[in-house]
Amino acid sequence: MNEQNVTLRVENVTKRFGDFTAVEDLSFNVKAGRVFGFLGPNGAGKTTTIRMIVGITAPDEGKIRLLGEKVSSELQNQIGYLPEERGLYKKIKVRDQLRYFAALKGISQTEADKRIDFWLGRMELSQWKMKKTTDLSKGMQQKIQFICTVLHDPDLLILDEPFSGLDPVNVEFMMDVIEEYKSADKTIIFSTHLMSTAEKLCKDILLINKSHKVISGSLREVKASYGKNLIALRATGGNGVLEDKTLVEKIIEHADEKELHLAENADSQVLLKNLIESGATISKFEQIEPSLNDIFIEKVRM
Amino acid sequence: MMKFLAVVKHEYKKVVLKWSFLIGTLLFPLIAAGFAVVPALIFSIKGEPTRIAIFDQSGKIESRLRTNLSEGILRERAQQAAKDAMKDMTAPQKDKVNSDLAQFGDNFRFVDYNGEMKEIEQVRRELSGRIAAGELDAYLIIPQDFSAPDAKFEFYSRKAGDFIINETFRDALNNAVRSQRLADANISEAQLKTLSQSVDLEVKKLDKEGTESDDEGGFWAGFIIAFMIYLNLAIYGQMIMSTVVEEKETRVAEILFSSARPFELMMGKLVGVGLAGMTQFAIWIGSAAILIAAAIPYFMSSGIDVPLPNITIGIIIYFLIYFLLGFFLYASIFALIGSMVTSVQEGGQFAFFPIMLMLGGFYFCLAVVRDPNSSLSFWSSIVPFIAPMTMPVRIISETPPFWQIGLSISVNVLAIAGLVWVASRVYRVGMLMYGKRATIPEVWKWIRAS
Repeated sequence: MNEQNVTLRVENVTKRFGDFTAVEDLSFNVKAGRVFGFLGPNGAGKTTTIRMIVGITAPDEGKIRLLGEKVSSELQNQIGYLPEERGLYKKIKVRDQLRYFAALKGISQTEADKRIDFWLGRMELSQWKMKKTTDLSKGMQQKIQFICTVLHDPDLLILDEPFSGLDPVNVEFMMDVIEEYKSADKTIIFSTHLMSTAEKLCKDILLINKSHKVISGSLREVKASYGKNLIALRATGGNGVLEDKTLVEKIIEHADEKELHLAENADSQVLLKNLIESGATISKFEQIEPSLNDIFIEKVRM
Repeated sequence: MMKFLAVVKHEYKKVVLKWSFLIGTLLFPLIAAGFAVVPALIFSIKGEPTRIAIFDQSGKIESRLRTNLSEGILRERAQQAAKDAMKDMTAPQKDKVNSDLAQFGDNFRFVDYNGEMKEIEQVRRELSGRIAAGELDAYLIIPQDFSAPDAKFEFYSRKAGDFIINETFRDALNNAVRSQRLADANISEAQLKTLSQSVDLEVKKLDKEGTESDDEGGFWAGFIIAFMIYLNLAIYGQMIMSTVVEEKETRVAEILFSSARPFELMMGKLVGVGLAGMTQFAIWIGSAAILIAAAIPYFMSSGIDVPLPNITIGIIIYFLIYFLLGFFLYASIFALIGSMVTSVQEGGQFAFFPIMLMLGGFYFCLAVVRDPNSSLSFWSSIVPFIAPMTMPVRIISETPPFWQIGLSISVNVLAIAGLVWVASRVYRVGMLMYGKRATIPEVWKWIRAS
């Protein structure tokens, strides 16, 4: 792994709240120009980890290095954080809120005004510039928040459940922006429990559960390592072979094909050979990758 | 530092650009001025002269009463009454008093009525009829034997509610009757005056340098200042609490904390809102100064005595210092409460404690106004939370030695440092705790945690 490419380095981080350990001995690296999927069920420790990364809280043990440095007030200017629990001031005009959040990230007012006009135009919200939050629909508020996150052009974008409550058009819109960031060689941490979205977006993933790391690596590697024991089969006959528990652990019937879960240490080639020998007519025999969703459920249930 | 200033600016604008700030800033002096000016204005409006008929059954009183109510005598009497006050007056004030007095003669116009040989009932009927017809405003029936213990003077008036007229009239009548009685007893008016001369008790305050000053001004200024400080601390303190709760409720805190240090954010908030409070005071003090500068010559020339305390620039500076001390003490408590609770309503229950402290400070002020040098006044102007209200009142009623002011400021600054330290620790954790109110043991743990 190339050292220069690593934007964020988390090393052996532990965070406790009283007797409760929210994150234990967590280590991972996030590389530039890639979307990093930070996955896990509710309460796994995702938000706690993110809060440590953005410098809201400090880890009890271990260290976090962003661009090689400890997170400081200055370095916070390089982070764009869209929290899961997101908010805006109720009675302040859209422009003034954006100006304030930009000022807190060290952007001058004239520069901020330029960017505000650009982003509001892009989000088709220009006519709402002088309106108060309470006058905006929920979807609009979410877009305003997204603007807050990107207004200071951060190097690291952390999005915590960014698509919840957004309509498909706006999801597509945000995807475009994420794509732009990716091609500008910036880093995106994308936290979600929606595996289908993660599967579409992320190059690398980290799955945590109950304060611990469960899986990490590139999506392809992860899938490949879990993909060896799933077979999609369309065939007539050969039923006797499928009942062999040393080979097939479980069969899930779909409309026109079967999904076979191989038993531990079973070889798919042996299964194919046995099927052919039993005289079955095979129209499809495919080793399939599990969906991220399957991996997630399997791992979290353990 | 840039971020801190951004927070200050944001919080300041948030308060100052609100309608409530504008209304509050304008309304308070208007209400205060209204209380001071409106009654004076109303009483300065002069009515039409009262047309009066006198039916004197004794035949001895009417001419004396007419003399007493005549222009010259009324003025003389009023001058006599105003003599003591006039001693200290400036020339324009004397002129004003004299011109006011000159109008007194206009108050009564006598209408002749001949009731001879008529029954008293008929006289009443006739005169009442004339009042009803609008030809007459009042009439007086003087009994035959005015010295009898059960003698009844009957006075009927359309304007029975005008107590100034009634008072003048009663005085004149009393004097007329008394003079008649004295004349009957062979005692001269001059003899009586010497005998019944009352003593003259003048209340003057002496300060350390021995200069005398009027006491009343100090009392009122002290009271008004104590009330203003109390009011502003309560208003701005609760404002701090509600903005803290808002940031917590709307989860804005999470974004803020990912951009700046919690300490910067909290202090920025306190300073921004505190500056807004100072702005309001500056507007009030400035407009009051302009008003007084413009109005004093007018009042002086109108002969109205305005009790003015000796307010110097030094006193105003002390006043602002103590406002700031009080503000930071209470604002940090309110910020602490705001970060502990989950809604403004919940915060309201806790706000009871600081409000009680403030109210206590306000009550101590009353004791300080009465005796600025008692040991109670001394201690109450040193103790934090109370001193920000009591010390300005003490300074204005009788400036204590400088070491006491210095001690009081130092003690309060130390208290602020401690409180801000505690509040910032609670704030840091409390702002990210959603869903439930923090308990006191939890808060204690946050304070102790590094």
